[in-house]
Order: sequence, then structure tokens, then C-alpha cells
Amino acid sequence: APVAKMAALSGGGAPWRRGWLPALQLVRRGSKAVTRHWKAMHFQRQKLMAVTEYVAPRPAIPPRCRAPRKEKVEEDNGYARLLRRQVEEVFRDNRMIAVCQYNSMPGEDMVLMRHYLRKHNIEVKFILNEIIRPMLSQSKYKNLLPLFVARNILLVSPETKVKEMLRVLKGVPQINLLGACIDDTILSRQGVENFAKLPSLEAAQGQTVGALALLPSQTSSLLQGGSAHLTALLDEHIRRLQAGETGNLDEPTSAQSSGAH
Amino acid sequence: GITFPERTKLKFMDKVPAVPKVRREPRQLRDIRGPSQEATDFTQGQYGILALGGGYLHWGHFEMIRLTIGRNMDPKTMFAIWRVPAPSKPVTRKSLGHRMGGGKGPIDHYVTAVKSGRLVVEVGGHCEFGEVKPFLTQVARKLPFPAIPISRDGLEQMRWKEEEKRLNNQNPWTFERVVTANMLGMRKYLSPYDLQLKGRYWGKFFLKHRL
Repeated sequence: APVAKMAALSGGGAPWRRGWLPALQLVRRGSKAVTRHWKAMHFQRQKLMAVTEYVAPRPAIPPRCRAPRKEKVEEDNGYARLLRRQVEEVFRDNRMIAVCQYNSMPGEDMVLMRHYLRKHNIEVKFILNEIIRPMLSQSKYKNLLPLFVARNILLVSPETKVKEMLRVLKGVPQINLLGACIDDTILSRQGVENFAKLPSLEAAQGQTVGALALLPSQTSSLLQGGSAHLTALLDEHIRRLQAGETGNLDEPTSAQSSGAH
Repeated sequence: GITFPERTKLKFMDKVPAVPKVRREPRQLRDIRGPSQEATDFTQGQYGILALGGGYLHWGHFEMIRLTIGRNMDPKTMFAIWRVPAPSKPVTRKSLGHRMGGGKGPIDHYVTAVKSGRLVVEVGGHCEFGEVKPFLTQVARKLPFPAIPISRDGLEQMRWKEEEKRLNNQNPWTFERVVTANMLGMRKYLSPYDLQLKGRYWGKFFLKHRL
């Protein structure tokens, strides 16, 4: 309970004149003013502290109504540049590039597939969409853009061994062929299958050469046909004459030889 | 215009003053309370440790500061000076395990009182704040009161920000206003010292985020 303040401190007659001293000094109550711990405040004091807190000025226009000042400037990451260079290399070096959808595969199946493809010199490359999309939109392969949406991989190779690739991919259900770019020609899935059904390059070349060479050979045969015919007839004739002469010659020569005897 | 003192490293502070005190002094915790009136600004150095609360520094703290700063600074290019005096206030301790009573205990050790807003040490020379900051933060964390490493610009900025806050405060009710006018009879629940402390100080603590 608050104790009346000590007689020595009480002001003479008019304490309200000299200065502020509490009428009832709380002598024995609680701890001193300065403590090591955080001294508990009187509730009224807590309320006063809560009321007199700092209130920050609010801007007239809330920041979210304001238009964004500048767009986020994309830093050109060295790593992104490296990946971009690699992708460019891939597009330049390889003749056949097939884009496939990639669903997660068990590890060992993946390794097996890669092994089989590697035997036919086909490499499997994982590509990040965010790198390849801007690159494609700038280069001439604009139609490959809609293919690079979800997780995908590239099968690249310098030779075009589509049949073997399709065979391998048929055995792996988790990878679906979306499209391919073979010798700078963009082919869809049906296009790739048709391409596989085509004969090999050498045979095709031979066929083309044959087809091309057919016409001139016909022309040459037509042109030379008359003279050839004539030559053939003459030859035939000569042969017949020679056969007749030799028959005649044989008789007189044989007769001469026999007459000589 | 940087003037290097004679000795660039911090002076050794005694545990006990040269003339040890005979008379035991009352506690007088008012030397911890409230804002500091001395050593609030930089003199020679450019960076320093600012105390953001009140407390006592004893010889252990002094040694820690001296050795840490001495270890991490380059005496040829940097210097450091004390901004607090050597311990001179005697602190008594009663022996352990005795009941209350029997008079005041004998003097145990000496301390210096530090109030909020006072600089403890100053560091200067041909160096940047970034070089000095790591070991100053290391020292500041080990002090018995909250402290931060600060440069001249930093201190100026701090003061300017406080001023700005005070000016653009949207709350029409401030502690100072309520106390000076004794609104709602609040002074019944506040100390007479709150007229000067204005709600920023509570015991030895400095309430940085008030106002």
C-alpha cells in the first residue's frame, strides 16, 4: 500500500508552488526506476505509448495504382550466354534435330535409351525453354516455337538415321516425338514417319540420277538410232557377203588347191 | 584533414583508478538513464561505436575492446581513441550466501557509466567504413548495451531521419504534448523525468522506434 512520503521531503506549506513532487511517494513498491530487466509499465502508460506511436504519412496515390516505372532489366547471365552458345552450336552442327516430349523416366531406362541412340551417333540434349524460345524467334526456325512449351529434349545427330531412332523411341513409351528439323526442313510427326519410309540416300541418289539420265539417253539413242540402224544393216550385209565370198573362195581355193594337185 | 594522435592504438585502461576510492558511493542509477550529454559527436575519428542503451562498462569490456580493435586495425594507417573515461565508479558486492543486512558490502570493482547516444570508441585514418565495420560490429555485439558501428555520415543521417519523422508524423497526439499538458491526468502514471525523456527512454533502454 502506498506509504505517506517521509516528513523530511514534505514541502513547507505550498508544495504546488515549488515543483512537482508526488503527494504519495510509492516508497516500498516494486523495483527502482532503472532495472536490468524490462520493467512492466502501468497499463495507463502502455495505453499512452500505444496512442502516441508514430504514424507514417500515406502517399496521395497508393503505390499499386501507380504504373510501374521501369521494367525489370534482365541481366545477361554468363551461364545463360554459355547455354545459348551451346544451343547455337547444336543447331549449326547437326543435320537432324528431333524435338520430343519428355515425361520423367526411370534412370536406367534413360541410360539404356541414350546408349542405343549413341550407337547410332544420336545425342540426347536437355534444353531450357526460356533460353531456346528467344533464340528461335530470332532465327529462321520460327515454326519450331510452339513445340517448346513443356519439358522436352532434343535428339541431335549429324547423320539422318530416322528409322533406327523411331525404333528406339517406340520401345520407350515416355518419350513422344513432336517434330523434327532435318536438313533445315521442318517436319511434323507424320512427316518424320514418311521420311523414314523413304529409301536411303544412296539409293535415292541413284534413282534420281537414273531418272534424270533417262531423257538424254533417250534423246541420244533417238539421234543415233538412224545411223546405228544403217551401220547395223551394213555390218550384216558385209558379214553375209563375207560369208558368201569365203564360201566361194573356199571352193575355188579348194578347187585350185585340188586342181593344183 | 585527418590528424593522427601520438599513439594510434587504444590506451590501456586500469582496473582500479590510481587513487582507489575509500568511501563507498550510493548506486545512482540516474547515470544510466536518459540521453547522453557528453561525447555525442565525433571529434578526431571518422567511425565509431554508438551506444543505443545505457549500461556500465567494466575492465573486462575495456580489455575486449582494446584487444579486438588492436588486433584488427592497421596501426600505420588507422588510429583509435577512447571516448569513455577509465572506470571510476565503485561498485560494491556482498559476499555470496549471506542474508540481508550487515551494512554495505566492500568495493568489488570499478565501472564507467554510459548513457544512450554516447560514443564509446572512435576509429579514424586512411580507411573506409567497410573495412572498419566488421570488427566494430563484433565489438558492438559484445557490449552490455545495444550498440552499432557508425560513421559521421551515418550519424548525421540518423539524426536527420529522426527529425524528418518528428516533422511528418501524422499522429496529432505525441507523448511530449500529452505530458507537458498533463492530458487526462497522465502524469499520475508517469515519472517527472518523462518530461525530459519524452517516452523515448524507459529505464536504461532506448526505444529507437518511438516517434
